[in-house]
Amino acid sequence: MKKNLIIKNFLIYFSALIVFLIMFFPLYGLILTSIQPENIIRSRNLSFFPTEIIFNHFAEVLKPNHISNIYEGIKNSLIVSFLTSFLCIILAFPAAYSLARLNLPAKNIILGTLISIYFLPTILFVIPLFVILVSYQLDDTILSLVVPYTAFTLPFVIWILKSFIDKLPVEVEEAAKIDGCSTLQLLIHIIFPLLRPGLIAAFIFAFILSWVEFLTPLIFTNNLKISTVALGLFRSTIDIKIGQQAAAAIITLIPVIILMIFFQQYITKVVLSGSDK
Amino acid sequence: MTDLLNQPSNSQFKFSREKILAFTLILPSLILVFITYLYPAIFTFVISFAEYDIIRLKIKKFIQFKNFEFLISNYFFTSSVLRTIYFGFLICVCTTILSFLIALLLNEKFIGKAFLRVMIVLPWAVPSVVSGVLWGQMFHADTGFLNALLYQLGVISGYKIWLADPLVALHIIAIAEIWKAIPFMTLFFLSGLQSLPSEVFEAASVDGANVLQRFSNILFPLMLPIAIPLFLIQFVLAMKSFDTIFVLTRGGPGGGTTTLNYFIYQEAFETFNLGRASAAAYVLLIITLAVVLIPTISRFLMKFFWGNK
Repeated sequence: MKKNLIIKNFLIYFSALIVFLIMFFPLYGLILTSIQPENIIRSRNLSFFPTEIIFNHFAEVLKPNHISNIYEGIKNSLIVSFLTSFLCIILAFPAAYSLARLNLPAKNIILGTLISIYFLPTILFVIPLFVILVSYQLDDTILSLVVPYTAFTLPFVIWILKSFIDKLPVEVEEAAKIDGCSTLQLLIHIIFPLLRPGLIAAFIFAFILSWVEFLTPLIFTNNLKISTVALGLFRSTIDIKIGQQAAAAIITLIPVIILMIFFQQYITKVVLSGSDK
Repeated sequence: MTDLLNQPSNSQFKFSREKILAFTLILPSLILVFITYLYPAIFTFVISFAEYDIIRLKIKKFIQFKNFEFLISNYFFTSSVLRTIYFGFLICVCTTILSFLIALLLNEKFIGKAFLRVMIVLPWAVPSVVSGVLWGQMFHADTGFLNALLYQLGVISGYKIWLADPLVALHIIAIAEIWKAIPFMTLFFLSGLQSLPSEVFEAASVDGANVLQRFSNILFPLMLPIAIPLFLIQFVLAMKSFDTIFVLTRGGPGGGTTTLNYFIYQEAFETFNLGRASAAAYVLLIITLAVVLIPTISRFLMKFFWGNK
C-alpha cells in the first residue's frame, strides 16, 4: 500500500512537471529571446538558460519611432478596453438582473440567443459593419472599436453576471421591497454592492477579451494613431529583429498577465458558477 | 402588503408593470445586439446574392446563386472547407483529451498545485498575436528552439523551414490554437470533476476496480455530459480562428493553411469581393450550425429508433 502511494506520488509530480513544461516553455522561450543579444539568439548553440542578459530590445521597442509604436498602442488599447468593459457592465448589469430575477417573457430564448451569438463566425458581422463604418466615415475612430468590442463581449458578460445574481439570496431583495425600495434603488444600493465579485470578474473578462481582439482593429482601423497594441505588435513581425519582436510581445502581455495572476480566483469563480447549472 | 391583498386588480396591473420594467432593463443590450449582429447578418445574407460595388458602397445587381455557384466550382474554396473541418476536428479532439488529463492531474493533491493552475490558465490571456509570434519564433527556421533541439539531438541533419511546408504549417497553427484553448477547457473539466461525489470512487476502489476500469466504467460516463458540449464549443471556436493564421502564415504557403474563415477575410478585405465573401460566410455559418445540430439530431433519432438509451 505504501509502495503504491510512492509510485502514485511520483507519477503525479512527474506529470505535473511535464504539464508545466508544455504550458510554460513557449512563454519562457519568448522571455529568453527578449533578453538576449541578437547574435546569441541567432547562434546555433542551443541553450535553455540566458548566457548574457541585456535589456536593449525593450529600450529599442519603447523608443517613440519604433515600428510597433508601443506607447500609442498601449494608450489606445487601455482606452478601448476600459471603455468597453465599462460599457459592458453598464449594459449587462440591468439586463442580467432582468434575466435572473424579473418576470421577463421569453427569458430562455433571449439568453440562449445571446449566448449562441458568441459562437457564430465573427466575420459574418464584420463585413456589413465595415460597410456601415466606411459609409458614415466612422472607421479609424475609437468608437469603431468600442462599439463592436462591446457587442462581441456583452453576451458573455451578461451570462457571467446572471450566474452571479442567481447565487445571491432572494431574501435580501424581498426584505428591501417590503421596506418600500424601488427596483432602481434596489439595483443601485443593494444588488450592486453585493455583486462586487461578479462585477470584478465580468470587468476582467471584458478587459482581457478587448485587449486580445485582433480582427476588428485590423479591418476597422488603418491610421497608426489609433492602432491597438496587438496590431502594433503584428506590424513589428514584418521587421526581422527577433529580439525586439519578443520584447514587444512581452510588453503586450504584461497588463493581462498581471490581471490574470491577481484575479485568478475570480476567473475560476466564473467557471465554477457556470458548471453547477 | 395589505393594499395588495385588498386590491387584486392592482396586483394584475403590477404584474404587467414588472414585465415592462424587465423589458426596459434589457432593452439597451438588445438594441446593441440587434445593431451589431442581426442587422449585419441580414445584410450579409442579402449581398450574398448580389454583386457589391465597394467604391460606391451599394449593391450593383442581384445575381441569384452565382456567388455560391462560383464558390462550389472553385477548388480553392472547396479545399479550404475540408481543411477547416479537419483543422477544427483536430484541435477539439486534442484539446479535449489533453485538458481532461490535465484536469485529472489538478484534481489530485500535491505541493505547488495552485502555482501550476495559474501557469495553466496563463495562455488563455495571451493575445493570439503574441501566441502567433511566440510559436513563430519557436518554429523559426534560423533561430527556433525546435530546429536547435532536433539538430543537436541528431534527428535532423540541417535546419528545416517548418512553415514552408503547407501540411506542417497547418499543424503548427493547430498546436498554437490547442495551447491557447487548453486553459479554459481544463478549468471546466476540473469543476466538473470536483462536483462528482467522492463516494463513487471510494466504493469502486473497495470493490477492487483497477484504474482503467474505474476510468472507463465510472469517470468516462459521468464526464460525458460535460465533455460533449465543451467538445462542440471548441470545434466551433477552432473553425473561426483567424489571428494565429494571419500572424504565422497569412494562409500560405500556396493556400495550404487557408481555412474558410481566412478565405472569407481574403475575399472581403484583400480582393474586396463582398458578395462572394458573404456567400462564403453563410457557408461557414451553415457548417457551424451543422456541427452544433448534428449531434443533437442524431441523439434524437437514436432515442426514436432504439428507445431510451
